[in-house]
Amino acid sequence: MKVSLNWIKDYVKLPEDMDLKRLAYDLTMSTVEVEDVEDLGKKFDGLVVGVIKEVLPHPNADKLRICRTDIGGGEIKEIVCGGSNLEADQKVVVALPGTFVKWHGEGEPVEIKVSKLRGVESYGMICASTEIGLEDLLPCGEHEIMNLNAFECQAGDSVAKALDMDDMILEIDNKSMTNRPDLWGHYGIAREIATLYDLPLVEIKPYVPQVEGNVDVRIGNAERCRRFTATKIENVYVKPSPFKMQTRLWRVGQRPINALVDITNYVMLASGQPSHAYDLNHIVDFISARNAQPGEVLKLLNGEELKLDTDDLVIADAEGPVGLAGVMGGAKDSILPETTEVLLEMANFESMGVRRTSQRYDVRTDASSRYEKAIDPERAALGVDMAMELFTELYPEMKVTGYVDLYPTPIEKPVIDVSLDWLERRLGQRFSNEYIENKLTRMGFGVTIDGDNLNVKVPSWRATGDISERADIMEEVARVFGYDNIQATKITTTFDAAINQPVFDLSRRIKEYLAFRCNMQEVFTYPWMTDKTAEAILGDTSCLLKLSTPPSPTEKFVKGSILPNICDAVVKNERFYSEFGIFEEAQIFQDRDYRSTYDEKEKIPYFTKSIGGAFAATVSDVTALFRKAKGVIEMMPRYTHMEGFTFRRDVKPVWADNTVWLNIYVGDKLVGNMGLLAKKASMACGIKNLSAVLFELDFYALTPLKSRTNEFKHLPEFPENNYDISLLFDTETKWEKIYAEIMKKAKSEKLIKSASFVDEYKGKQVPEGKKSVTIRLVIGSDTKTLTSDEIEKVANTVTRCLEYTAGAQIRTK
Amino acid sequence: MKEKLEALLRDGIPRINGAKTEAELQEIKGSLLGKQGTVTLLMKEMSKLPKEERPAAGQLVNKVKTELSNLIDARREELKLKASEVSADFDWSVPGLPPMSGGLHPIIQMCYDLNDAFRSLGFEVFEATDISSEYYSFDNLNFPPNHPARESMDTYWIEGHDKGEAWDKLCLRPHLTGDSVRYLQSHKPPYRFVYPGRVYRNETTDARHERAFYQYEALIVDKDFTFTAGKVMIQTILSKVFGREVKIRMRSGFFPFVEPGYEIDMECLVCGGKGCSVCKHVGWIEVMPGGTPHPNVLRAAGLDPDEYTGFYVNIGLDRLVMMRYGVDDVRLFNSADLRFLEQFR
Repeated sequence: MKVSLNWIKDYVKLPEDMDLKRLAYDLTMSTVEVEDVEDLGKKFDGLVVGVIKEVLPHPNADKLRICRTDIGGGEIKEIVCGGSNLEADQKVVVALPGTFVKWHGEGEPVEIKVSKLRGVESYGMICASTEIGLEDLLPCGEHEIMNLNAFECQAGDSVAKALDMDDMILEIDNKSMTNRPDLWGHYGIAREIATLYDLPLVEIKPYVPQVEGNVDVRIGNAERCRRFTATKIENVYVKPSPFKMQTRLWRVGQRPINALVDITNYVMLASGQPSHAYDLNHIVDFISARNAQPGEVLKLLNGEELKLDTDDLVIADAEGPVGLAGVMGGAKDSILPETTEVLLEMANFESMGVRRTSQRYDVRTDASSRYEKAIDPERAALGVDMAMELFTELYPEMKVTGYVDLYPTPIEKPVIDVSLDWLERRLGQRFSNEYIENKLTRMGFGVTIDGDNLNVKVPSWRATGDISERADIMEEVARVFGYDNIQATKITTTFDAAINQPVFDLSRRIKEYLAFRCNMQEVFTYPWMTDKTAEAILGDTSCLLKLSTPPSPTEKFVKGSILPNICDAVVKNERFYSEFGIFEEAQIFQDRDYRSTYDEKEKIPYFTKSIGGAFAATVSDVTALFRKAKGVIEMMPRYTHMEGFTFRRDVKPVWADNTVWLNIYVGDKLVGNMGLLAKKASMACGIKNLSAVLFELDFYALTPLKSRTNEFKHLPEFPENNYDISLLFDTETKWEKIYAEIMKKAKSEKLIKSASFVDEYKGKQVPEGKKSVTIRLVIGSDTKTLTSDEIEKVANTVTRCLEYTAGAQIRTK
Repeated sequence: MKEKLEALLRDGIPRINGAKTEAELQEIKGSLLGKQGTVTLLMKEMSKLPKEERPAAGQLVNKVKTELSNLIDARREELKLKASEVSADFDWSVPGLPPMSGGLHPIIQMCYDLNDAFRSLGFEVFEATDISSEYYSFDNLNFPPNHPARESMDTYWIEGHDKGEAWDKLCLRPHLTGDSVRYLQSHKPPYRFVYPGRVYRNETTDARHERAFYQYEALIVDKDFTFTAGKVMIQTILSKVFGREVKIRMRSGFFPFVEPGYEIDMECLVCGGKGCSVCKHVGWIEVMPGGTPHPNVLRAAGLDPDEYTGFYVNIGLDRLVMMRYGVDDVRLFNSADLRFLEQFR
């Protein structure tokens, strides 16, 4: 909303030396956010009033003239101009050299220079209104220049002064005053300023109607129309409003139209109260504010017909709807050139109803956006006061021939008791009774202080939801003082227990493990999935939740697994990277197992926090990629201090390759899966070149250790020896089996300290159906240094054991 | 003889000191002191001298020999200290091999920084589900029944759960505050906790607007907690996170679930408050709404608003991180684009 400081000055006398930057700052800190302060006068820098003394023909051009123009101080300059309405003694706008104007009202502003036009030197330029941005306020015909004859001004005067443009315009962020319906007009802002600076606020003279009755107004829905005042005014006619009013409207972004319409707009911008003037000749019998009836339509100005909803509140006459109450008028209720009698409506409509109607037809007007904020019904009276003053001024000959004010249920104004002691404790500072009384009174509150009790009567304009309890009063006191000015106090609460949140810490440890030890990058994706990838990865989508209004028609599923979006992220990144690891931690949901977590009335669908990711690379051997991923999963419990994983193969994940996958368990609890993304699923997601090994863990199924469980073992006193043996096994024989047999042996053969997998080989040098596995044994004694014979003897024991238990064969060359 | 020896020194000393390698030095040593070396040859010449000159000449030659020999030894030690396994033209400017390392999301980094700061002040970290009911999202929070935020244009409702009573209607949570009430209901006062999480709004996206963004709430509920103490707290936290004193200001603001409410601005870290394009030339950046929990919110949590009060802030992490690094498009955070994410290791 634009606020004119000159307009504000009508209601509150600002000191001459007022620092406007300070005013904007103080308003921002205490009331509303002032986004910008525009010095309007500056826009007219370099523009002066010129008086044409003589119009001479141009020697080289038919359409151009040479104007000998007085630009003040007795200076007569020759200015070349093509205006079709140039006359001697005419007052015009002269752009002096160095001024920027929009040439012919188009393009970027250009600098005016002393230059020759068709061979004749021109000192500056005589302007059309489009060239200085005044086309809405002072339109002039095509090829015409602006004529200032109607203005009291002299050659050399600044145009800003001549046109009353020396004003500062505050741009206020509407969002910062959605809760303050009283601020949607200049009077309300003036009241705030008067409060902040302890200045008197000008009272608006009440209008006392001389006639009562003689207007048939009916309220059909008192819930939705809470007040309706109608004033019947005769002997008026359509004419332009005085320039002073026009320029005011124009300065705050409202285009002047004619005096009758301008009055209603002016009143709205002054008081925040929308109003409407009906041409009485078009109103048949009576005016009524009622709900639309089934099948009713509203004819609009552009000839279209609006099919109305029965929830719409309409203004209707005996023949039917003439306008949508609080939103917009129809074809029938407009002011026309021949209008001579008007009915001035100053009404109050309930906010949510206005909002619904406004949304239904996607129409937002200055009126509807004000009604939506819940205007108090008593403001209608202020609107009438202001409007009638203007009618009297603009139409001294007018006659008021009827007046009604329907206000069936006066608004309830809360009365709030606040303990001053409580106020001090909450604010951390004591304010004097005088301070509180002064500020609240200036804002319009009725204040009585009795001992510790502050009794506050809320004025109507703050009583529509804005202020209802003592916390609201605390806010008023604190904000006018300035939150920033209140002395800071230290936090006083003390806690004795240390923060201990093992589950939360585990999440962080896992993420840091994946990121910093395992070379993976954490990503964020949306909580919904693309249909295509969800289907490719999860197969059955029937267990997924859907959004009512999805962000796009192909993204309706709520994230039910972390993996589809991970696959989409692989697709995105494979253009730029041939090898990478990514992971995400996010909540996932499925349409099953609804349960209550906090309140039994609320049932939340199955959810868990999921940690999942992908290792993607271009590889010739996907099992190597799988081993890399398996290492990450295998070592995760050790490094992140949670209960260990075991791997089983019970249920293949839908998305996994038929051979390369594992289920991940903690004890008997399935906590996740990992595996190679099957070629078919991979292609369906759109992955072109990379292979991907995926994993997904159910975070809530993981158990952090209460504390570290590392165990100290004495360093060996005697040397331990690495001894590699390579043996042939059936390709079906798993390392798990081989390892288990060695460990079983190690129970009796104490010299076996450990065994580990080195590599395996299948191919030419190995018989069909066999693989060669290299095993590294660590052999040592706690009591002596072993001889090489003794070491070999242990290794042979292991070989014989594996021959017997796992079908091992010694490799022959 | 004397002249020859002096010439030998004049010539030999620079050669020794100029030797670049031990091998070169060895060669020089050979040429001077070796079997065919200049000194050796001179010594042989001595026999040709008259007998009475020999002792003095012998002394002189020995002196020169010792001097050269010492110089060679000294030079050898010097060369040993300077020795290298590789040739001297080794290019040390070739970059090193980078360590294997991924990274955390820049928003999570900020979140962890804040967690560390808040936990050091005794705050717990709280989490709730991304899906919430209308009851927790709006009703508990003093949102009027017809508040625009409830409509589908602003909130993602779940299909099949988008009608009926507030308890039955489920949505992707549009803010965190509703879930704070869950904490209040399930714990005993006084409270001091933070609540990081993502929230979702049905909006058109552009460089400054996103459908999913990360919020960070901090809430204290206690008896007679003044909001200025909250201000001190915020200042402490931001200064810790940004590693320098951060000025903040509080100004009037409105949110349904607080009373009083304020906008908390932080001095623009890009220009230090002088005004720049990042802060729209005002020197301040709006970083968080805050306030005292509305009495109705406290009531919803089963607390007596006459007894309890508190302090609440909601920090928009996306915005804070954008300012920390000068990121100009909020959508990058959810892009999973490694070219972006890798910049924040």
